[in-house]
Amino acid sequence: MVEAMGMLFAAESPDLPTVNDFLPPEILFQGTPFALNRIILIRIVATIILLIVLGITASRAKLIPGRWQSIVETGIDFVRESVVYQVMGETRGKRYVPMISTLFFTIFVFNLCGIIPGMNMAANATVVMPLVFAVWVLIQYWVTAVREKGLWGFVRDECFPKGVPWPVYILLAPIQLCELILIRPASLTIRLFANMVSGHLLVATALAFAQYWVIDATNKLAGIPIGALWFVFGFVLTLFEAFVAFLQAYVFAILSTVYISMSYPED
Amino acid sequence: MTLAEGGIDLFLPHTYDIVWSLIILVIVALFFYKFFMPKFNAILDERAAKIEGNIAKAEAAKAEADAAKEKYEAQLSTARVEASKIRDDARAEASHIIADARSRAESDAAQITANAQRSIESQHQQALVSLKGEVGVLATALAGKILGSKLENDDVQSSMIDKMIDDMAGSDKK
Repeated sequence: MVEAMGMLFAAESPDLPTVNDFLPPEILFQGTPFALNRIILIRIVATIILLIVLGITASRAKLIPGRWQSIVETGIDFVRESVVYQVMGETRGKRYVPMISTLFFTIFVFNLCGIIPGMNMAANATVVMPLVFAVWVLIQYWVTAVREKGLWGFVRDECFPKGVPWPVYILLAPIQLCELILIRPASLTIRLFANMVSGHLLVATALAFAQYWVIDATNKLAGIPIGALWFVFGFVLTLFEAFVAFLQAYVFAILSTVYISMSYPED
Repeated sequence: MTLAEGGIDLFLPHTYDIVWSLIILVIVALFFYKFFMPKFNAILDERAAKIEGNIAKAEAAKAEADAAKEKYEAQLSTARVEASKIRDDARAEASHIIADARSRAESDAAQITANAQRSIESQHQQALVSLKGEVGVLATALAGKILGSKLENDDVQSSMIDKMIDDMAGSDKK
């Protein structure tokens, strides 16, 4: 539909985002394992900003917090109380607070890069970064399971639950094993990655049309109102992306906590 | 359109992407584990301890104040009781003193009156006696002059005097 409208009103088509935005060319150290492309550069810059801002906040942290420190503390408190302790309680959850905090803050900041002017691309917008986070979670919940239940105890509880007639195990066991090894990390990865991809495509499409109608289109009489509408749409979508940035960080954090929590024996 | 062209490429990671993602994750995780979380935990714990300490301190101060207030109130009420007791005692003593003084004054007055009465009586008696003597002498002298002779007999003399006095006393009483 978007393309049809573009074709209808002008000969030149707007500069719509493509999937190649997520496969940018290598621009530094080409061909080495340390090659950099645009998204990785964004990721490194975002990491440096995250470390500097939170590092300064932490090193200047006072007993009586200022405004910015209160905001950061609200974030820490949110992860600890509303995510970790709510899911698994304080006694079990205490040791995972740093991990979940790392995931939440990093993913949130990386997601926000998608709406920061100049970057305009989430640092999580290649599949590897979400995958690396998800693999960390995978390792963590297996390590926890082996410690709490033993390897066999965990596999037995998950794949051969009690009270199920044995023929069902033939179907259930492979599915559950698949879930433990593949589906959990894959769902974490794809949810985050796909949200970032679709978010970029939506915002960039709206803004590309706004640019096209206001500046490039020959018919200014129709172009400016339509372009203005596209701009408003893009503006709203940008705000929505800010919300999605938080939401996906929260979802990733809470699902990670749930997975780790499921490695513990039931009370 | 465009998504179909390279869609699968999105899910095929490059080696350098894996390398950089891992490096970044390790750095970020180290930062959070070794610096950021311990630092903020220390701050938050310190704040919690301080707040709890202050609450405990405030509670202790309140308990102390309550105890002091109770003590003062008790003291105040005993003082009030004592004061009223003292007042009652004083009032009783005062009335006692007044009654005492009155009775003493009354007895004094009675004594003074009695003394006066007695002294008046004795003076009266004295006056009577002396008068009696003087009148006797006078009467004798008078009678002697009148009779021209000395009354030899003492008996006659004294009976005469007595008669005269009785007459005088009779005219006195009139």
